[in-house]
Amino acid sequence: MTGADDPAEAFEVPTGVEAVTCPECGRPFVDEEVLALHRGRAHAEGLSGEPRAAFERALEAEETWLRRFRLKALGGLVLLYFALLTLYALV
Amino acid sequence: MSGPRGRPSARRLAPAIGALLAALAAVPPASAHGGGLGAAARSSLTIPTWLVVLTGGAAVGASFLLASFVTDYALIRAIDGWRARLPDPGRVAVLLGRLVGLGGLGVVLLVGVIDPGPGTNLAVLLVWVGWWAGYTGSVYLVGNTWPVLNPWRTLAGLLPSLDRAYPERLGAWPAVVALLALVWVEVASPVASDAALLATLVAAYTLLTLAGAAVLGAEAWFAHVDPVARVFRAYGRVAPVAREGGRLRLRLPGAGLTGEAGGAADVAFVVALLWVTTFDGLVATPAWRRFAGLAVGAGLPPAVLYPLGLVAGLVAFLGVYRGAARWARRTAGTYRSAEALAVVFAPSLLAIAAGYHLAHYLGYFLTLAPALATAATRPLVGLTSAPTLALPPWFEFVGMAAVLAGHLLAIWVAHARAYELFPGRRQAVRSQYPLVGVMVFYTLTSLWIIAQPEVPVPYT
Repeated sequence: MTGADDPAEAFEVPTGVEAVTCPECGRPFVDEEVLALHRGRAHAEGLSGEPRAAFERALEAEETWLRRFRLKALGGLVLLYFALLTLYALV
Repeated sequence: MSGPRGRPSARRLAPAIGALLAALAAVPPASAHGGGLGAAARSSLTIPTWLVVLTGGAAVGASFLLASFVTDYALIRAIDGWRARLPDPGRVAVLLGRLVGLGGLGVVLLVGVIDPGPGTNLAVLLVWVGWWAGYTGSVYLVGNTWPVLNPWRTLAGLLPSLDRAYPERLGAWPAVVALLALVWVEVASPVASDAALLATLVAAYTLLTLAGAAVLGAEAWFAHVDPVARVFRAYGRVAPVAREGGRLRLRLPGAGLTGEAGGAADVAFVVALLWVTTFDGLVATPAWRRFAGLAVGAGLPPAVLYPLGLVAGLVAFLGVYRGAARWARRTAGTYRSAEALAVVFAPSLLAIAAGYHLAHYLGYFLTLAPALATAATRPLVGLTSAPTLALPPWFEFVGMAAVLAGHLLAIWVAHARAYELFPGRRQAVRSQYPLVGVMVFYTLTSLWIIAQPEVPVPYT
């Protein structure tokens, strides 16, 4: 999945937008937080100092978002289940 | 709920194999009631069709929510990367496979030339029941054996080749066009029941394929142009057994659906495969019959109805899929191009196509397998009666389950691809919203088609 010819590696940054780019591989990202996650996950080796700390912070934010998403997903599942149960009871 | 695919398609049966089923309907009720599957299912089932369809859509949505609970990069990689080594098939097995392929081709041509007369015969049953229904199933359920079995590849290997370079800019487009053409012939001509016509078309295909392989070299021809080889390669990516790195390996179903580098044309081929599989079922529904009647009534020549329908449907399917990929860029928050997302997520559609193929053809295959076996013992005569298997009424749920299983696998594959592609888990989850929306919509559509009563295909 690497190489310039790979269509899966094609990027399009909208004109007039300044993307944050990875200093290691040059890939553009929408914000610092995603960049921090990318550096922490794709270039973990030798990551230290501020990038390391940024990765930790981004991970924490991500975990918070995921926790909330899981709650919503669980709520969605329960809702779906009871909606169908009710439908089957009525029909 | 009526007209399950457990009952073989009226179109394929027409008129030859249809006689077999008519004979089946005449046997005493105890053994026949599976044959009149539609009627039996209608009386035993009290759940309305729309609710079954809705439940299927809900199951796909729910499975997305469930998959989103798996958020560990390492775990997802481990599941997708699991492999076990299998013993390599010996040279004898490969040789045997090649002989079986050549033998099959020989039988189809020979029976067609002899033309055994009225009724059905070995050539028709072998191609549609044995090969297109049964063998294709084995490709996505077990593994792609077509590179060995493919009789045209075996023949092309014996012929000299000019080895001209394949024009790379054409990509998979010739295969896309050829796939649509094949399905057009299959749907709109009596090739599904006429052994002589079938043999003529197979002979024409043989000449074309051997000529193409002689110009481009067998390797390039079967890799780029030949639609049949490409279809089996695509289905084989769903299968648990595959040759990876020169060795035979066991993997989890769908683990081969990683983003093999491709371009717009490869995406189009995958979408085309999904579309033609759907189209195959769609043309036998009353809704298509009404639509075709309206279109022809409004002045559309019947001859262009099917080619136009095939192309228009592919454009619509591609439009929806590419639209979902563009939308996923926004929901995920990524600068990867829409094209990149389309390429990465396209293979997950193959699981859906396989599930739909199984739903469409498993009952057909099981019902007519005994007829195929009988024909094999009497290859040179037309059969007006042959044994068929009566399927129990609950069998239609196997079809529904196959559609659902294909979608569930696709949900997982897309989920795993998202984690491969995006550094952020929030991105990975959010990238799935449009795709899951499209998948739920497609589940509803295909379950609805499966639940339709089958009618003869109009204007053919």
